[in-house]
Parts: sequence; structure tokens; C-alpha cells
Amino acid sequence: MKKLYNIKSFSTLLFLIIVVLPVFCGLVYATLYSFEIVGIINSGFTTKHWEDIIQGSAFWSSIGFSFYVAICSVVISLIFALAMALSWKKNLQKGALSTAIYLPLCFPGTVMAFFMFQFLSKSGFLSRLGFASGVLEDINSFPALINDAYGIGIIITSVVLITPFFVILFSNIYHTENIEAYKELATTFGASKRQLLQKVTLPILLKKSSVTIYLFIIFVMGSYEIPLLLGRQSPQMISVATVQKIQRFNLYDIPKGFAMSILYVLIIMSVLLFLYFRNRDYFKSETTK
Amino acid sequence: MVFSCGENKKQEAVDVLSLSWEDIEQQANGKTVTMMMWTGDSKINAYINSFVKPKIKNTYGINLEIIGGQGGNIVQILMTELQASASKSDVDMMWINGETFYQLRQINALFGPWTDKLPNSKYIDFENPFIGMDFQQPIEGFELPWGNVQMAIVYDSAKVENPPMNREDLLNFVKANPGIFTFDNQFTGLTFLKALLIDIAGGGEVLQGDFDEEKYNLYSQKLWAYINQLKPYLWRKGQVFPESVAQMHQLFASGELWFTMSNNDAEVDSKTAEGLFSETSRAYVPDFGTIQNSHYLGITKLSGQKAASMVVANFMVSPEAQLEKMNPVIWGDGTVLNMEALPKDMKAKFQNLPSRTKAPQRSEILHKAHLELAPMYMIKLAEDFRKKIINP
Amino acid sequence: MIKRTLQYGFIISIGFPVVFLLVLSLGRRWAYPNILPEQISFANWEFLQQSDSKLFQAFFVSLGISLCVAVFVTALGFVISKFIAYSQRRNTFLVLAYIPYLLSPVIMAIIFQYYFIITGLTGTFLGVIIAQFLVAFPFGIIIYLNFWNAQLKSMEELSYTLGGSRWQTYKKVLLPLSKNALMLCFFQVFLISWFEYGLTNLIGSGKIRTLTVSVFNFVTEANIFYAALACFLLILPPMLLLYINKRFILFVEKTEL
Repeated sequence: MKKLYNIKSFSTLLFLIIVVLPVFCGLVYATLYSFEIVGIINSGFTTKHWEDIIQGSAFWSSIGFSFYVAICSVVISLIFALAMALSWKKNLQKGALSTAIYLPLCFPGTVMAFFMFQFLSKSGFLSRLGFASGVLEDINSFPALINDAYGIGIIITSVVLITPFFVILFSNIYHTENIEAYKELATTFGASKRQLLQKVTLPILLKKSSVTIYLFIIFVMGSYEIPLLLGRQSPQMISVATVQKIQRFNLYDIPKGFAMSILYVLIIMSVLLFLYFRNRDYFKSETTK
Repeated sequence: MVFSCGENKKQEAVDVLSLSWEDIEQQANGKTVTMMMWTGDSKINAYINSFVKPKIKNTYGINLEIIGGQGGNIVQILMTELQASASKSDVDMMWINGETFYQLRQINALFGPWTDKLPNSKYIDFENPFIGMDFQQPIEGFELPWGNVQMAIVYDSAKVENPPMNREDLLNFVKANPGIFTFDNQFTGLTFLKALLIDIAGGGEVLQGDFDEEKYNLYSQKLWAYINQLKPYLWRKGQVFPESVAQMHQLFASGELWFTMSNNDAEVDSKTAEGLFSETSRAYVPDFGTIQNSHYLGITKLSGQKAASMVVANFMVSPEAQLEKMNPVIWGDGTVLNMEALPKDMKAKFQNLPSRTKAPQRSEILHKAHLELAPMYMIKLAEDFRKKIINP
Repeated sequence: MIKRTLQYGFIISIGFPVVFLLVLSLGRRWAYPNILPEQISFANWEFLQQSDSKLFQAFFVSLGISLCVAVFVTALGFVISKFIAYSQRRNTFLVLAYIPYLLSPVIMAIIFQYYFIITGLTGTFLGVIIAQFLVAFPFGIIIYLNFWNAQLKSMEELSYTLGGSRWQTYKKVLLPLSKNALMLCFFQVFLISWFEYGLTNLIGSGKIRTLTVSVFNFVTEANIFYAALACFLLILPPMLLLYINKRFILFVEKTEL
């Protein structure tokens, strides 16, 4: 038994070393740097970078923009996914569609973003089609969908990437939760089609997938490749803005980049804790049932 | 322990510089040199990959490895390495100039002075202020001149008959033709802004020397006022600027823009030969002038391959390599060599290079060349451009 | 009828990017307003015959890195997750694992780049594998934690009661039962690593040229045809996987394995 105990604590230790230690050490370094305690061109302890970041608008507008992009992407995806999962439920289980729906999952963000750029930019494929068919008078009458102020290109790309995921998720929940049976039950009590959707199907699907939905919002907020290719200087998503602070032009901006990354990590951690305490069930184990 | 380690490094640095050139070449044999450079131009990449690399491999047995990166990227890597007291750098040499050189000197990340050691340095025109000074800073043997260029504006002569020659012309032109002119938000665009700043200040002499905050504030205010006048008529109404000069070239090639810019006066020829730009593309320098500057090669202080890097650098400024590089269909990068110092037959070869067909001759635009400003001007312009124009 | 048409339309639009990238990868010169590139040829694809070409190497560098990361995470995650799953503090561990899983990998890379430089791991194959491992491992744990359950535990205990050794229990009981979980973890981690750009580029100092890094290099060079080619190569392995077994291509929490 002693041996088992050792393996157990060894496993725990290994877990801590791999999962916790790197993030912790990284945060320590970033903190020291953001206060200019380390760093060869830094002159000693100062809180000015933190003041700049917290009081300035750049960081908060990046976070705000990232949040806006994430919410839009996830909400639009949910609408499409629910519509598809519910109206095509049989075909999603069998046949060509059931395989085709997986195809977009083969696309990394980088590839989808590159494709969207070539497809939706002013001189992209769609604009060329428009010009050839006479719909467009010239290149400038095509709307700005890439590098635009509202993150339209980023949102479209994210929607295309995550909608299939939600379609599959909903289609699975629909079957594992046996929603069909609930619906039959409700129908016998005289529920209308509309009521079935509003009172039975949607609540079950959304409740069962709620944590996954929140997690996706966080993922989209932190995305890097897509806004790097399709975004613009302002407004900028948080990952791109942070990397840029650390790698561009002004050396004296690097502590600000680190301060931004710490704040971002803290925000994500608090959201996670919030989710954890609100959705204990989700995190509860099968083993302790 | 740490102390002795530092001592060793110093020792080694001294050693390379005290060796004879023959010994350096011998030491370089079989080594791999990692060079970090801007890889945003396929012509330049082709010159490095299909001319420089094989020559160096065959002549000196050195493998040259290229990694992409420029400016802040280089500085950030070297700075973190110094901070982590790394024993060796990931990067041996890099293509730099201006504010990167200034920042690298500030953090003491460059090896030197080493340029006198190179046999080919005797051909270099160090006396020329456009070559021997980098953004108003003496290079002091810490970087080696590699190429010299003057910024030019490229336009499509099928669409633009008389390109605008001064600020007022430009404003009127974009008002009449909105959406077809812009500049990128990196080096090329900033260099264009510098030329405007010099023009507003009333000539190159006014801003010579170290960074002068008072002058900067005075003239940059006028510059931003002018840019704000242009802004509504720029590409995408000045709400967004191309992310890189490569993107701007693409927009020009696809016809979305009528103008693009190049930090290299001869680039229009190579880009047309490549098939990217239309045959009707031309380059010109407006009356307010453009900046002429040089770009350089530096070696990192923590490089483990200083000898081999010096051999590579020596080859890159050899008349042979400079001649190839200057050919307008190869790259079209101006040479840093002093024609008078070259052997006669070499000089003749330079003079017989195929001439530019779409770009003006260097001699015609030389009188419109401005010297670079101190690096702080560029850093400030970049910051204010972001604050006042992109994100007002 | 409308439903059918919509579905077919949908299937075609899903397939369109693949065809589009393929055509673009064969192209040269694509000036506005031409719908198709002026030249279509296999010239860009000739790299396949040259083992010293960048794309050829990038493909194998990517493959090597992704396979290593996937194998390590699958194996180590399996063992460690089992102890965590049955531990009293399971939920604490789970929340800890979610932190790196949720953070943007490129931000992770920024904050621990310093340590990679100290240890001389930047710009090396090993460094990139370790960095990707650190990002993918928590995900592996999360996948496995969905899998361990009371039923499995009692099977394992039964095996011990019947006199099975640890090794026998693993080999004869646990591994066969875990086949699907192992496959899922392996392929999921493989894909994460295969798709990764920001972290790989930062920790690899640009020296480790994976396919995604190549895509970005070609894009900054404004060489869209090579970028399209690299993109096409990037989606090939996942499509192959889809063909073999679509279930391994995505991980949905709380579903039966």
C-alpha cells in the first residue's frame, strides 16, 4: 500500500509541476517585470505601467472588443446551430450531412482566416464574382469585411469554425437526453409546437450545454491567429494587443505588455471560479456520485 | 561562477578580434550562422536563398540559416536573452538599421567594433553621410553597411497622369480621387511621414542632430493636422491602414490602390519583372523629397558564431555580392561600395548593370534625398500616429 | 424539398473552402477582377519532389512535433488523471487544469518565454515540444477526467481482488476499456499541436518552421499561392482522420466514450 501511496503523491506532484508551476512562474516573472523590478533597461520599482493600463483606455477597450467579438460569434453560432440541429435532426445522425458537418473542424483558425481573407476582402473572390456579374460597379463598392471596425471578418470566421461544434453538441444532447420522449409527454398535455420549443427543447439543450457555451466565449476572447490576420490596429483583440506591446517599436512598453497579460490571466481565472461555483454540477465527478 | 562565465565570454570576444583574417576564415568553416531578417519580400528572399546561401556554403563551408523577424522583435529576443543571462544567442547576425540599432546599442546587445576586420570593408564608402551615419548615429564599427536606398512613391501611370509633387498637390489629388492613396503603419509608412515632417519643418537641416522635443512637438502638430485633412480621402477613409508594405503592394497590384511606396527606389522594376505590378507602374520622388538611408548587418554580443558571422558579412559586402544585389531584376538594392575604391573591371561591371526602366535614375533623385532623423523621431511618430490618427 | 436543397447547399458550401484553397495553391498571378488565377499549373507543388524544400521539411517538422506531443500527453495524462479522478481533491485539480486550458496559448508563451531562454530551449525542437506539451497536457487531463468513473473503478478493484497484479490490471482490464478514451486524447492533442501558431512561433524563435508558421511566413511575404498550398497541407491530416473515424475529431465534455 505504501508503494501505491508513493505513486499517488508522485502523480500529484507531477500534475502540479506540469500544470500549475509554469503558469505560476510565468506570472511571477511578468509581475516583477511589470513593476520594473527585473529587466535590464528598467530602472527600479514603479507602478506607473499598472496605472497606465488600469486608468488608460487601451486595455479595457481591447478586453471590451474581445468580449463583443466573442459574444457575437457565440450567439450567432448558437442560433444557426439550434436551427440546424433541430430541423435536420435525422440527417445529422446518418448520411452525407452527418459527415460533412465535421469537415469545418478540420480547419485550424489560421487556415479559415486565410481563406476568409481571400474570399471576403475588397479584392477577394466574392468581390470578383460581384464585379463579373455586374452587381459591383468597382472594387470600392464592395463592403469592408476584413480589417473592419466592427470585427465582422473575425466574427464570420469564428462563427464558421464553432457552429458545427454546437450542431454536433446539440444533436448529441437531443438524443442522449431523450428530448423526443419529453416532447411526446408534453404533447399529450396539449402543448403547442411553439410551447414545445420554448418550454421543453430549448431549455434542456441550453441548460445542458451552458458551461460549454461559456467556455467557448472565453476561447474566442483569447483567439490570436484569426484577429492577427483579419483584424486591424484599432480596436484590437487582447492577445494581439498584448503580443504587440511586447514586440513592437517601443522598448519601454514591454512592462505594459506584461501588466496586460497578468490582468488577462486574472480575469480568466475569476470567470472560471465564478463558473465553478455557479455550476458545481458540471464539474462534479462521475466517481463521487 | 557567474562571474567566471562572464569572463570567459569576454575572453572569446577579444580572441575573435585578435585573430588574423585567415584564422577567422578557418574557424568559420563548417559552422552554422543564424541570421534574422525581414522576410517580407520574395525577391529579397530569393537573393538570399539562391545566391548568398549557396555561395557561402561552397566557398566557406558555412550554413546560413534565415529566420524571420525585424525591429522590435529582434530587440525583444536579445533583451530577454541578456536578462536571462543566456550563454548563447539564438541569433548570430541580423539585418538592422535606425531605431533597432539605437535600441540594441542602448541595451548593449551588439558585438563590436568588428567591421574594420573585414578585408572588404576597404571598399565601403564610410565617408558618405548617408552610409557612415545611421539615423544620425555614428556606426562605430558595431554594424556593417549593406545597402543604400532612397524611398520612392510608386504609381500606375495608366491611371495617374501627373503624380502629385507637393503636399498641396497631394491633398487636391486625393480629394479628386478618394480611396486610392494610403501608407502602411510600419517602417515604410513612417518613413513617408518623416519626409513630410522634414518638409513641414522647412528642410532637412532644421531637424538635424539629436532628438529635439520642442521642435518635434511644433512640427508634428502641423503634420497631424495635415494628415487629418488627408484622412477622409485615404483608402478606406483613413479608418484603417495596411498592416505592412507587402499588403500595400498587394492592394496596388490588385488595383485597389493607385499608389504604393517603397523604401527602395528600384523596387518597382523588380516587382514589375516578377509580374506583381502592372507594366505601367512607375516610381518617382515628389518635390518635398524622400529619405535616403542605409541598412546594415549586426552581430549579436551573445553569438556563438562570431567568426563565421564575420565571414558571411564580409561576403555580403563583396563587390560580387553587391553587384548581384544591385541588379534591378534581382533586388535592385543600392550598393554601399565606393566606386572609386573598386578595381577598374569591377567598377565597369557596376556601370554596366541593366538600367532601371520604371524607376528614375539615382542621379536624378539624389538632390531630393534627406538624411535620416534621430531614432527618437521615428519612435515618437509611431506612437503618435497610433494615438492621434489610428485611434483618436 | 426546401430542406433538401438547403442541406445540399450547406454541404457544398462546407466543401467550397477546400476546393478554393486547392485551386489557389495551383495558381500564379491573380489580378482583379479575374475570377481565377491567370496560370494554373503544378509548379507550386513541385516541392514534393525536393526533399530540401521548405514546405516538405515543414510538413515533417509539424508531424514530428505533433506526434511527440500527442504520445506524451496521452500516456502521461492517462496515468496521472487516474489518481486525480479518484482523489478527494479532484475538483480542485480539475479547476487548476482548466486555467491553462482556457488561457490563450500565445499569452502563456509570453509569460514563460523567459524560462525557456534561461534553459536554452528557445529555438529548439525540444523547446517547442515542451511548450506545446504544457498547453496540451491540461486538456488531456480534462478529457480523461470525463472518462474515469465509479464503474471503471470497481472493475479495477475486482481485478485486484481476484489476484491480478498492477501490471496485469492495466494491461488486461484498464487499457482495453480505455481504448476509445486514449484514441480521443491522442487525436485531440495531435490536432491542437498541429494547429498551434502563436506559441510555436514565439518559443521556436521562428527557427522551428511548422506548417502553420509557414502559412504566416508566406502571408507576410504576400505569397498567397504558397500560403494556400501550406493551408491545404495543414487540413489534409485532419481530413484523413475524419475519413477514418469522425468521432475522434472533436471532444464534447460529458458524453459517453
